[in-house]
Amino acid sequence: MRKIARDQDQGGAEIDLTPMLDVVFIMLIFFIVVASFIKEAGVEVNRPDNNQPDDPEDSTSIVVEIASDNQIWMENRRVDIRAVRANIQRLLAEDPQAPVTVKVEKGAEAGIVIDVADAARESGVGAVNWASDR
Amino acid sequence: MSMRDHARPSAEEGANQIDLTPMLDVVFIMLIFFIVTSSFVKEPGVELFKPQASTQEACERGTIIFAVDANGDIFYNKNKLPMDRVMRTAEAAKKEAPQANIVVQVDRETPAYVVEDLIDTVRPILTAPPCISTDEEA
Repeated sequence: MRKIARDQDQGGAEIDLTPMLDVVFIMLIFFIVVASFIKEAGVEVNRPDNNQPDDPEDSTSIVVEIASDNQIWMENRRVDIRAVRANIQRLLAEDPQAPVTVKVEKGAEAGIVIDVADAARESGVGAVNWASDR
Repeated sequence: MSMRDHARPSAEEGANQIDLTPMLDVVFIMLIFFIVTSSFVKEPGVELFKPQASTQEACERGTIIFAVDANGDIFYNKNKLPMDRVMRTAEAAKKEAPQANIVVQVDRETPAYVVEDLIDTVRPILTAPPCISTDEEA
């Protein structure tokens, strides 16, 4: 007992930090790895409130309709997905500030909506609104 | 003879023991930084055939991730959710990370009206337009 007491008198103030350092390093590496684990990439789409008085449809927005059979309609004409971009660009040349409103019928698939939104963004549209046809 | 008895003289005479305290300070600050900035992402955990987009950009702080599969089922944190529990789940997630934005993962064949309903449901807590997750166009 006396020997232990004397040991502590001599060097008791010095704590061995190595195990704590090990733990801290492992935690550090864990948090670094977790921090940048998932990076979702995607397309931002506005979803205007149906109850809002300023309905985007009655302003001068470019309207693209997607029917329940996934067909795309613009200005009462059926449009192929590859032609959507050219059509939007043409309408955008008339009004460069126009937003694009995508009106989606109930049976349509999300993939088509994203394709149209992507085409609109490719042609330089500022905002894409997703409105439902209900 | 104990280990301590053996180690003491060499440490005292050699002074070759490095002072770890400054490094420990730095490491602690880094640790705290990463703990504070890390936001734990709960993945929906469903395999989806995402739509491709050439104009995709990173979803800013998009860490509240919902998935809607081709059948129109909603998933969050590897669990299937009914629509009436989506709001509560999103609210809880938003409370945990107020800066986080909502991401919706969709399949190409997901019915669009389910995505609409989902976005309409969480609209009260949206702080930014919802991000529809896509894959890069090949």
